[in-house]
Amino acid sequence: MELDLATLADLFGRSFSLWWAIIPGIALGLAVGVLPGFSPQNTLIILLPVTLAMDVEAALAFMISLYCANHLSGGIPAILVNIPGSAGAAATCLDGYQMTKNGQAQQALVLSFVASVAGGLITSFAVLAILPYLAQLGLILRSVEMVVIILFGLTLIAVLAAKDMLKGLIGGAFGLMLGAIGTDQVYSTPRATFGFLELYDGLPLVPVLIGLFAVSECLVMLEEKFGTASVPTKAQRPQWADTLDGLRMCVRYWWQIVWTAFLGLAIGVIPGAGAYIASFVAYQQSRLYSKTPEKYGTGFPPGVLAPESANNGVTSGTLVPTMAIGIPGGSTAAVMMIVLQYQGITLGPRLFQDSPNIAYGVFVMMTVAYIMMIPLILPMARYASKVVAVPVQVIVPLILGLTVIGAFADREYIFDMALALGFGVIGYIAVKTNYHVTSILIGVLLGPIFERYLLRSLRIGQGDIMVLFSSPIANVLWVLLVISVVVPIWRERRLARRAVA
Amino acid sequence: MGFTNRMIGRRAFGAAAAGAALAGALPRGAAAQAGFPTRNFRVVIPTGQGGGADRLARSFDDGWSKLLGGRQFEYEFYPGAAGQVGYELFVNRRDPDAYNLLFGNMGPEMIMYALQRPRFKFPEDLSYFCRIDIDDSAIFVKPDSPLRRVEDVVAEAKKRPLNVAVSRIPHPASIGMLALGEAQGARFNLIPYGGGSPTMVAVMSGEADVGALPVSGLTAQAGRLKVLSVFARENVVARLTENAPTVNAVFGTRIPDLYSSRSWAIHTKAIERYPDRFKLLEETAAKVFDDAAFKAALERAGQPMETVKFGDRALCTEYAMAMIELANRYRPQLSAQR
Repeated sequence: MELDLATLADLFGRSFSLWWAIIPGIALGLAVGVLPGFSPQNTLIILLPVTLAMDVEAALAFMISLYCANHLSGGIPAILVNIPGSAGAAATCLDGYQMTKNGQAQQALVLSFVASVAGGLITSFAVLAILPYLAQLGLILRSVEMVVIILFGLTLIAVLAAKDMLKGLIGGAFGLMLGAIGTDQVYSTPRATFGFLELYDGLPLVPVLIGLFAVSECLVMLEEKFGTASVPTKAQRPQWADTLDGLRMCVRYWWQIVWTAFLGLAIGVIPGAGAYIASFVAYQQSRLYSKTPEKYGTGFPPGVLAPESANNGVTSGTLVPTMAIGIPGGSTAAVMMIVLQYQGITLGPRLFQDSPNIAYGVFVMMTVAYIMMIPLILPMARYASKVVAVPVQVIVPLILGLTVIGAFADREYIFDMALALGFGVIGYIAVKTNYHVTSILIGVLLGPIFERYLLRSLRIGQGDIMVLFSSPIANVLWVLLVISVVVPIWRERRLARRAVA
Repeated sequence: MGFTNRMIGRRAFGAAAAGAALAGALPRGAAAQAGFPTRNFRVVIPTGQGGGADRLARSFDDGWSKLLGGRQFEYEFYPGAAGQVGYELFVNRRDPDAYNLLFGNMGPEMIMYALQRPRFKFPEDLSYFCRIDIDDSAIFVKPDSPLRRVEDVVAEAKKRPLNVAVSRIPHPASIGMLALGEAQGARFNLIPYGGGSPTMVAVMSGEADVGALPVSGLTAQAGRLKVLSVFARENVVARLTENAPTVNAVFGTRIPDLYSSRSWAIHTKAIERYPDRFKLLEETAAKVFDDAAFKAALERAGQPMETVKFGDRALCTEYAMAMIELANRYRPQLSAQR
């Protein structure tokens, strides 16, 4: 079915009338997203008895708003306390938290909110316009192309290592080694699991994320408060002027939001590719093409805009294969599929003839959810930034309590709580010895999926490594990858020569 | 959607949300009745959420719940290591009290049991007692593939090793391809994609030449995927697969029926300790197959009715043991331990 303007207007009208499902979805999504360990898919599974009982359009509106809001709010703790609410927000810590340290927490939150909403809106509209073509993208980008795309993310290790190459690379290699823990991708043979059942799936992301960022940050906060090495965060008195300042920054760097949103959309369309790949690749690419790459990591607005816009672009992308070919793009989409199938809706190409109100309606609902988020979240920036002013003796126990529960909540293993604490110590040591925890995290996050796609490609090539250069799209990506590695080195050498001169 | 629906939906939403909150707030025993069951069941699924097992279990549990005093089924998903994590966790960390159940795919997971040697013993520690379906393994291609018939697949695989997308290496469909290759002197290079959906995408995109998966998921992709043949004595979903022939009929081979089969399982200890509870579970589960609501739910989930076949504990055990034997026979090809 062609999507004409009248149908589109009707779908928008219907979606706005579902405000009563969208607003609770947004509220719950925001709350869940702020807490590391509470994923949207687990929340939706818990709420399945409710959503299965609802009218299908209302259920979808509720689930989609929850999902989008969840992606948006993961950046809030990343910015305020250096603790990403989800793996997709880990890259936001790099500049977001630095902005908070520079006394610009409110601006950083506004950047994150605007990038998320704009990224979501742009990509939802794009999907509505070119859905049939996008569905093909998921079939064009295959394992070989994914190897190169993930390598883009992995090169961020080198970027982060720029200040101290040896330590940066050691951190990245350590992360990659940790990422190899678990059963192998082909024969399920356990590797470095030491007999722990809890490690068979590999290192669980949530406890690692919580440990490296939340627990280690708490230890650093305690040390700054009660110890000697004090580098206090600059206090910021919340005022509307800062919100406006954040909006001004968004306007100034609007192009960053637009292109990273499309990058997120393209990565989201590939079944199984997560938001964290998109956000790391977006950050790395944003830095690469910046005229001032040296500002990244110091609290530079595009360093917040790029990952946040990309990880919200993923939300639209993930639903493309779900709707167009009936194959879920991620675990949250898989749960949504259960609800749709329970209601007798068959996903796939026929959906566009049988139930256009669902097929296109999903993306219209997403657009409406993002529109409704604007008045709900922008004022929040002013008040949320007050978290920075909460005394350490209050915030540290609160963070520790919530995050350790979060470590348990994802898989319900006590082991994961201990793992989070263990990684907290690793993260603390890394911070104190100037190793970048993000380098370690990138290795842990991207290592296993890199291995999965690499092994798959090599099996497809039947052992011939040239399979990695067998596709025109992959070859173009290889060239871009080489450029993205060589250009920063060349640029830094040139700057160094100028400085000497 | 009209105005009336919206009003009903809004009220239903409020009521359901309040109900869910209340249910969470009440102590577990608050609504308890005398006898078994007095609380909800906890189910381990050793595959991911949203997968075939998840959908089938949810289609089944509405009808079963009605026969078990309205007790609900709460699911947990532990898909790691080809199902090994879910099984070990169920056997070793869930109480054998008949309130803890497992819903698994006997075929691939018994192959996993044989190859990976997990820390439990079958059937001493775990018993399947209610088979829900027989889902034959099938060979498929994309519709514009030059391989139009299964004979073309074998002929091409005699010239060069064909890439075959499979869900997992330890899977009945994978064994089927290996057995066919062995019987016909063809070479198949198995590539595990870690689930049915990515396996189908690999074939649609042309990354793999051929795919091998249980047939029921493929029938939902008619038009985008073409089933060429099935590993069974007859193709029970012939009407949905353009009358695809069986492998044995085409090649005159004697490959055994290779199918996935989802079933409810329980701790064997629970059967011994609580025979009355088990008897109730067994009897009520068998009755669900007559429930019209179950059939309607299956239809909504896209499960062909021809694949739904009840099997009792004895049948399940017999099938599981046969799978273990088959896996042991193909151990060198299916395992890293050569």
